[in-house]
Amino acid sequence: MKEKLLEILNDLRPDVEFEKETKLIDDGILDSFDIVSLVSELNSEFDVEINVMDLEPVNFNTIQAMMELIEKLQEEG
Amino acid sequence: MDFISVTFMIFILILICLYFLVPDKYKWMVLLAGSYVFYAFSGIKLMIFLIFTTGVTFVSGRKLGDINEESSRYLKEHKADLTRDEKKQYKSQITARKKRIVTAAVVVNLGILIFLKYFNFIAKNINLVIGQFGVTEKVPLLNLLLPLGISFYTLQSIAYIVDLYRGKYQADRNFLKFALFMSFFPQIIQGPIARYDQLASQLYEPHKFDYTRVTQGFQLVLWGYMKKLILADRLAVAVNFIFDDPAPHEGFILFFAAAGYGLQVYADFSGGMDIARGVSQVLGIELALNFERPYFAKSVEEFWRRWHITLGSWMRDYVFYPLSLSKNFANLGKRTRKIFGNYIGKKLPTFLSMFIVFLLVGVWHGSSWKYVAYGIWNGVIIVSSILLEPVYQKMAQKCGMDTESAGWKFFQMFRTFVLCSFGRFFSRGKTCMKAIDMFIRALAFPNPWVFFNGGFLNFGLSYKDYNVIFISILVLLVVGIMQERGVHIREKIAEQHICFRWVIYLGAVLTLLVFGYYGGGYSASEFIYQQF
Repeated sequence: MKEKLLEILNDLRPDVEFEKETKLIDDGILDSFDIVSLVSELNSEFDVEINVMDLEPVNFNTIQAMMELIEKLQEEG
Repeated sequence: MDFISVTFMIFILILICLYFLVPDKYKWMVLLAGSYVFYAFSGIKLMIFLIFTTGVTFVSGRKLGDINEESSRYLKEHKADLTRDEKKQYKSQITARKKRIVTAAVVVNLGILIFLKYFNFIAKNINLVIGQFGVTEKVPLLNLLLPLGISFYTLQSIAYIVDLYRGKYQADRNFLKFALFMSFFPQIIQGPIARYDQLASQLYEPHKFDYTRVTQGFQLVLWGYMKKLILADRLAVAVNFIFDDPAPHEGFILFFAAAGYGLQVYADFSGGMDIARGVSQVLGIELALNFERPYFAKSVEEFWRRWHITLGSWMRDYVFYPLSLSKNFANLGKRTRKIFGNYIGKKLPTFLSMFIVFLLVGVWHGSSWKYVAYGIWNGVIIVSSILLEPVYQKMAQKCGMDTESAGWKFFQMFRTFVLCSFGRFFSRGKTCMKAIDMFIRALAFPNPWVFFNGGFLNFGLSYKDYNVIFISILVLLVVGIMQERGVHIREKIAEQHICFRWVIYLGAVLTLLVFGYYGGGYSASEFIYQQF
């Protein structure tokens, strides 16, 4: 999952070193445009439904947090 | 009650003394009583709207809170015996119940705002349209008064209700405490638009007197007054002079008026925010940041992320995300991708949401077509700049420009300043048509000689005033650069020897008294955003 997620993120923002960043949202590295594009990619790639309630900084600040969110949504079905 | 009045000074001193003198358990009551006294000064009759919105929000919030608790209890108790489909079905039933409540509450709260703020504007336009078809009957215009801060506290109430619908936190169970959250006096007239989870507990918890915090709070208040009285109100003289009668002017003079208005609004609004945040800080309460040096932005999009931050984040969380992630927009994306290809097709629905957001931001400022035009201007600039970004990058590469150099960044800042300044024709122009006329004449008749022939000295300001404006902007710039570099100026001041500190404080007060622009009868003008 991590490789695929990194691929999506690097496609979206090639200028960001995602594995090093820990405050992608809090530091304004990803803006709302990026988030909307990212969510639609994640939904179709991982067959989940990320909705507005999940759009909290804590779920998108790190690549690890994004993976945890996807796993949680996949478990919930 | 105006922030710039002796009444406010007396009010704030009494309130601060009372707050720190009463026992801890009564402190929030002092804030509640103070907030309502403050609001009452703007008219007791209009207070009914605030109380009504507070009531509707509290009751619907409690109902949503009850449903949240009931559903999580049910799901916990039946975790083992419910199938995945049954859980899904139960959740969708709960969502439908919550949706009914949230819709009703939002319709009522927003309905009041729309009715009071936009009824006459809508009626006038309906009359204009039906008049074209020869209909003589007219929708009557009403004598409506806008309650102070309604545009701010309504958004605050909607955020609370929608967050409860989303299950973000628990509902407030104490009506009076909730009334304090809705009415907290430093932020009710012009924001920042607070979020319940960031502000409420700070208001309800008692705060002890802390000398460093109190002095830092007062420094921020003083800084706010300086921005407002020395810069904003002085710039307002020239800006009003030109905008009140723009016909004799053209070219750079008109651009000067628009750019001057942009700076005036910045000094006025951010000054008001500094006063609100400073007073709150004295009481131990941290309000959300509303400005982050917008004139250092390198794009119009970034400018809006740094300007009126709490309105921007409100629009992002309660309009932009829900729209962009809705099923309708997802379907639209599929269709646009087929028509326009992957790159543009994928972005179009997001652009549409962004465009709607800027239209709403424009209209939020007031009921006039000029605000619609203001929203469109910002929307068009942002969308086109995102679309054209690859083109700009290629052009820069071809011209051998280093896009990481300080020169390029300065160019980007200057470009943003110019674009945002042109937008100000719409937010300040008397009407939409006058704004468009000024916009065109600013571009069509360049007159650089006005920089050398004293052409700027005829707008109600003296040479000395221009010097004060120039120095003030320079000070703002230096302070801004220091803040951008992470220097905490007030903490630096706090580290200084007491004598030096007091020299700074007294110097600032003296500067304010000597260079403040007090107008006729020594009455400062109202804060601009107070009118929204």
